Amino acid sequence: MVATVVAIRLATMRHLLRRDWWRAVVLGLGALWALAMLPSVLIARSALAGQDAGIRADAMVALVAVLTLGWVTVPLVISGLDNSLEPARFRSLGVSARTIMPGLLVAAFLTLPALFLALLLAALGSVWLQDGGGVLAVATVGLALMLASMILAARVSAAWAGRLLSSRRAKLATAAAMAVGVAAMAPIALVLFRDGLSDVVAEDIALVLERLADTPLGAGAAAPGAAAEGDWLGALWRLALQAGWVLALLTVWQQNVARSLVAPVGRGGGARRHHDRVLDPARSAGAPRDAAAAAVYARLARAWTSDPRYLASLAGVLLLPVTFFALVMPVFDLDRRWAYVVPLMLAATIGWGRHNDVAFDSSALWLDIVSGRLGGAVMRGRLAAVAGWALPLVIVACLGTLAWTGRWHDAPGLVGASVGVLGVSLGVAAVSAVLLPYRAPAPGASPFGAEVGAVGAGLAAQLVSSIAAMSLVPFVVLPFVLALTVATAWGWVACLAGIVAGVAAYAGGLRLAGSLYDRRSGRLLAAIA
Amino acid sequence: MTTVPALALRGLTKRFGATLAVDGIDLDIPAGSFYGVVGPNGAGKTTTLSMATGLLEPDAGTVTVLGADLWAAPESAKPLLGVLPDGLHTFDRLTGAELISYAGRLRGLDRDTVRARRDDLLAALDLEQAGQVLVMDYSAGMTKKVGLACALVHAPRVLVLDEPFEAVDPVSAGAIRRILAAFVDSGGTVVMSSHVMALVERLCDHVAVVGGGRVLAAGTLGDVRGGGDLEERFVELVGDVRDQRDLTWLRQS
Repeated sequence: MVATVVAIRLATMRHLLRRDWWRAVVLGLGALWALAMLPSVLIARSALAGQDAGIRADAMVALVAVLTLGWVTVPLVISGLDNSLEPARFRSLGVSARTIMPGLLVAAFLTLPALFLALLLAALGSVWLQDGGGVLAVATVGLALMLASMILAARVSAAWAGRLLSSRRAKLATAAAMAVGVAAMAPIALVLFRDGLSDVVAEDIALVLERLADTPLGAGAAAPGAAAEGDWLGALWRLALQAGWVLALLTVWQQNVARSLVAPVGRGGGARRHHDRVLDPARSAGAPRDAAAAAVYARLARAWTSDPRYLASLAGVLLLPVTFFALVMPVFDLDRRWAYVVPLMLAATIGWGRHNDVAFDSSALWLDIVSGRLGGAVMRGRLAAVAGWALPLVIVACLGTLAWTGRWHDAPGLVGASVGVLGVSLGVAAVSAVLLPYRAPAPGASPFGAEVGAVGAGLAAQLVSSIAAMSLVPFVVLPFVLALTVATAWGWVACLAGIVAGVAAYAGGLRLAGSLYDRRSGRLLAAIA
Repeated sequence: MTTVPALALRGLTKRFGATLAVDGIDLDIPAGSFYGVVGPNGAGKTTTLSMATGLLEPDAGTVTVLGADLWAAPESAKPLLGVLPDGLHTFDRLTGAELISYAGRLRGLDRDTVRARRDDLLAALDLEQAGQVLVMDYSAGMTKKVGLACALVHAPRVLVLDEPFEAVDPVSAGAIRRILAAFVDSGGTVVMSSHVMALVERLCDHVAVVGGGRVLAAGTLGDVRGGGDLEERFVELVGDVRDQRDLTWLRQS
């Protein structure tokens, strides 16, 4: 069964490579990147070799902890897990989870990132050779277990997050995840802002690493350090802890696989809705007036509150701004005014995040297309549904930032620039969504799985839309920068210019996207379904 | 009046990579007819119907709906059409009732009209109970029925239905047949694809047999089937399974 599953994986890959040449280019670029990283790995290895066992173990624990964090969160943020081996695909074959697990497990290790990670850990782990064969053996086992922990943790986190978001408590879960994410950053930010980076590194980090070394987040990497110092018992129980953790993750993953083999995903659980929200929408300020646009708005408003794929992107918009505020600012000891980047970044992230908006409809789009020449109305409804929550959120972020800096006289400029960035990025995204759509996860599919065949086309669309947005955004932000650096009076210019440019770009993008939609309506369905 | 065909396809062609899916199809569907399109799997039926309803841009050829060019003037041609595609998603976060309202509002109908027609359609298609349930919880047959309701809500003049009876239970199928027959009687046109020859013989007055991306035969039901029945004629036109091999290992004893 292992061979069969792995063969499916490889055959899918081969067919895709043969069908789309750019996929080979993406794969080649990935391999090239891995090769380019090799010298730095070797430099790190030789640097590590010159240190004593304690520092070496600390460095490995730190690296492994950061990598684990990455493996757990990245698939959730940039839908990255290749779904060619999505367990649900095996549903009709009548195989048990126990039968396909070994195959899925092996296939999970046979991805480019996993292979590169294995290579990295092997290279760095080999430094323990200088402490003798026994220590090297401990290092090999420990790091192998760490590798398994990371790869399994990525699967489990994607499976859990997917399940949570398709459950009936999805809305609550999204809010909770955002709150927990912010809350987890807060103490780190607080300590960093209070003590400064150098003090934190000197005192707190050492303590944190010591604690991590006793947990599954670093025990496997710390084991050889203990062995090198003669503490074989310490090495042994750390290995045992790590092995137990891998086993636990494996069990949880297997349970998730077993569940998805029998449970249809994306069911509403028979929930009833007594009000026809398309015909009698709840009153909201920004809702469009005309029949078709209002209907699209109502449909998207429902999606933004109940569709796991939309909820996942909603939760994702906070990541970049919060990271900047909580980590980048204190670490580089930036002036408080740099906090103004937060609402600007939030606005840009929200707008750019909609660059593939239309594809989220998947093949259900047919209803919009056969109903007439509706490009303008469809895009107006779509964008209004985003702007409906994005504009208040950005304004709140502006006010929050101003409260933090205490420089309320910067308010007009900041609000203007943020609204401008939001409008410009949404306008660009609307055009990109019609011009360069690529396949998004289908309704009911895991919001974190990349549709087979989407990664390369997605890359092109992401690149083009971000270049377009980035070349327009500076014009909107420039007056605000002048307000901060030259004269406060520029703030009112920034306010006016931002709002005018934002509204103009929003309306212009909408118009262009609408007419492109009409012109390309016969090609849209084929591009995204 | 009757000289303008309800749907006229001229030289419709579509190529996917190396495969020529539809190879220059010419077809006139007379107004007021109940037209069946039959063909083996992969014959290009769905591709043809997609091009005839604005879902897929043809590489070449034209489509006119009651004289209006679909691809050149969609704003005048699309309102005349009611469409039910096969094998595509629906907006599954809406309830059945909301989906019908959605289709009606997209067509520009006012609220009161949509409300009345929505309730009529839910009752006629036996979806009253399911009207408040999300479409994602529907069975395949219920999804078909609500899709048909969406195609009907704006009272089109031409209905293009891809496999409208697939997965639909006999009771609902009877209701759909009655609705479609009454629609044709009142002067409407129905174009329907199906794999079930008996159904086509029972419902349709015209039929086209499509194979390999071409029209193999088209005309009134009597003309196409000649003396025999439609299934025999169909197999004769598209050819039988080439290797009629006995699956001896499948025998139970």
